[in-house]
Amino acid sequence: MGKNGDIALRMVGITKRFPGVLANDNITLEVRAGEVHGLLGENGAGKTTLMNILHGLHQPDSGNIQINGKEVKITSPRIAVDLGIGMVHQHFMLVDNLSALENIILGIPSRRPPLLDLDSARARFTELTSEYGIGLDPSTPVWQLPVGDQQWLEILKQLYRKTNLLILDEPTSVLTPSEVERFFKTIRRLVDEGYAVIFISHKLEEVLEVTDRITVLRDGHVVGTIESHEATASKLAHMMVGRPISLDRVSRPSSEDKKEILVIENLCCDNDRGIPALRDLSLTVHAGEIVGVAGVDGNGQRELAECIVGLHQPTKGSIRIINEPIAGVTSDPSLLGYIPEDRSKNGLVADFTVEENLILKMFETSPFARRGILQWREIRDRANNLIQEYDIRTPHPATPLRNLSGGNQQRVIVARELNANPALLVASQPTRGLDVASVEVVHNVLDGERNRGAAVLFISTELSEVLALSDRIVVMFDGQIMGELDAETADVTLIGEMMLGYHNRAATAMGGNA
Amino acid sequence: MNERIKNVLRGFRGIVLLGARPILAIILALTVSAVLIWAAGANPIKAYAALLEGSFGSVAALANTAVRATPLILGGLAVGLGFKAGLWNIGGEGQMYLGAATATVVGIIPLPIPTWLHLLLAVVAGFAGGALWILTPAFLRAYRGVSEVVSTLMLNYVAGYFISWLLHEPSPLAETGTFFPMSPSILPGARLPILVKGTSMHGGLILAIVLGVILYFILRHTTFGFRTRMVGGNPETARYAGVDVKRQMFRVLLVCGGIGGLAGASEVLGLKWRLFDYFVSGVGYEGLALAILVNGNPLSMIIGGIFFGSLKAGANKMQIVTGIEASMALVIQALTVLFVIAIGFGERALLDREQQKKSHAEESIANGY
Repeated sequence: MGKNGDIALRMVGITKRFPGVLANDNITLEVRAGEVHGLLGENGAGKTTLMNILHGLHQPDSGNIQINGKEVKITSPRIAVDLGIGMVHQHFMLVDNLSALENIILGIPSRRPPLLDLDSARARFTELTSEYGIGLDPSTPVWQLPVGDQQWLEILKQLYRKTNLLILDEPTSVLTPSEVERFFKTIRRLVDEGYAVIFISHKLEEVLEVTDRITVLRDGHVVGTIESHEATASKLAHMMVGRPISLDRVSRPSSEDKKEILVIENLCCDNDRGIPALRDLSLTVHAGEIVGVAGVDGNGQRELAECIVGLHQPTKGSIRIINEPIAGVTSDPSLLGYIPEDRSKNGLVADFTVEENLILKMFETSPFARRGILQWREIRDRANNLIQEYDIRTPHPATPLRNLSGGNQQRVIVARELNANPALLVASQPTRGLDVASVEVVHNVLDGERNRGAAVLFISTELSEVLALSDRIVVMFDGQIMGELDAETADVTLIGEMMLGYHNRAATAMGGNA
Repeated sequence: MNERIKNVLRGFRGIVLLGARPILAIILALTVSAVLIWAAGANPIKAYAALLEGSFGSVAALANTAVRATPLILGGLAVGLGFKAGLWNIGGEGQMYLGAATATVVGIIPLPIPTWLHLLLAVVAGFAGGALWILTPAFLRAYRGVSEVVSTLMLNYVAGYFISWLLHEPSPLAETGTFFPMSPSILPGARLPILVKGTSMHGGLILAIVLGVILYFILRHTTFGFRTRMVGGNPETARYAGVDVKRQMFRVLLVCGGIGGLAGASEVLGLKWRLFDYFVSGVGYEGLALAILVNGNPLSMIIGGIFFGSLKAGANKMQIVTGIEASMALVIQALTVLFVIAIGFGERALLDREQQKKSHAEESIANGY
């Protein structure tokens, strides 16, 4: 391991071309021992390609790589590992039914084959966990570990392998705020010991917090490398997108209209495995406001959204939209619009054409069908109008949806769901997996719906966007609402505590207007 | 080049590929079969010439092809409709037996009604028989989540033995004093008309073609068809769009079974005029193969059925001329289906890769929303 401040990794003039795409264009990246180096860029900016090159999965067309000052050729992941390069992927590379310890030694040749080297490995495992204060039992099977612990196991795997250049790809997406804090402490400690860390993320706040320097990529080339203490979120967003962009909270007058649109009372339901997912949940959303639902993924948010849109059957309680009780799917598009969590799963039919996807909910109603016969002319007319209005980039209304890019598919949903000006809009993680520019558009759409006077229920696990967009915030934990806060004055620490299940009466009182 | 033009071209190529897939598969199958024929010591060109002559070379040959094609098309439609809803009806064989049996029952009873009505009743009975046979698997699939593949397949054996039992004395449906189990003869008034005098080409072919066109219309132009395709494309989304997915699956499977029944009915009412033991002998499975070949498209089913029918019709002539076993026809059929599946996999992989590249490229353009 190098001395802090030495150049641990230097990638010079890396160019990688895929058919039709210049993924990396003359990229130069320098990472020092003892620093956390942030790598920022939108989807498709070239981060993944660059890291795959570093990891030996791709060979660059030109350019060279130096590790600790020595030029190297990384022709396979094995060589990358031998060079001390380790990567923690966003989707963990763990074998579920092996124990934590077995996962650690997976792929490392044993010193006394054909037998496993479990005893000495166990000793080293315990040594590392106690040294870094990681509470992991070596014999627990991975499937029994919470995701946060699986993350630690991935890190431990790298420590065990004597990695000195650690690549972390979106490491915090599975962690709660307090876990993130602990995680960052550990990263800081690692770099103090001389590790070099590349930190890939699109959460600007986190990158600013944990990194020393940041390199921003756009369209396959380096926009610039800046010191983190000189950077701001808006500056970084500008660099990433190439134009000024605002994801910050804009303060705005609260709506005069206090009409209750969505009223949920004592809602209970079970999840797909029959375990209670919502427990006596009550919630009201008024016209002209965005109610943000914060919470760690898997605390009943999905079930809440699906109960409202009728995909999930409540076991108890009631849901009303403008005084109309909801039982089953709502077919009236002026009542409810829904932007689902996973658009390919329950928003679209990939094999259908664009025009067919645009009439999914109304294919049986006049004028699109008469006496059971589809009226293709009307369907085509509507499609052409919506394609123009919502700027859906498709060669033809009859193009299969699967041929459209993700952003355009999202536009098809937005066009279909919002075209009839629904009184209530339910948006469930609408920005998941989108890049900054598309996130901004989704935010604008939600904001626009609010200003039009719609009631908006906005579910997201990204606390920052809940804070930026909502009028009121409710925090969900274990199928219940832990508390409600005014978004103008909300305290992040308090929300973080609620996300972990600490019920706070004071906060409920502060929110006031339930 | 302009992105729009490129996109249109790409879409066009997709259509061509889709149409070309079965044709390419047929060419490949015929090529491989040629090697097999050659290895068996015959001249492939002569063999194929004989095959062609035996299937299209004369009125009798054409009639033979048509007769062979009819149950294949109907059986194929019975499977292909299910494809559109994401369902696999493997029970064509059993549905054919049952449809044939119910049509026979109606066909052998003298009724004081006009002959056309008697025929119509017999045909409807055939549909009902097939639908009845799939009732249990359809219910289990739609409302209990039991795989229709297994249940429909298993019922084929039940159907075969059930018909056998029906045709052995003392069953009232068994003809007395025959050396092979069969039913009494279907009354002339309940038979499908012969289309070309002196041949056995019967009205079943018209039934098959009309049904193919009707199914195409239903799938493309009716709300029932839209629902069906939505259930096949993405059942979760269909649920969100307000479709009763279970009910739709149930209904589609019933229609599939009914069409399978029609395939059997058309055989007994048009060609055999009696219900014979084991008369289906695998045609139900050949229909499945055909449906895979044309990916369930009802219009292509007609053409594909005639191709499969011509292979079977010409195979005897090929055997006489070259000594190659007539079962070579089945080998060619099987190879065609294998190739169409293989090409399908290849294309899917290709498309996926292109798709990946494309989204890669589009997102890096970061063209905003």
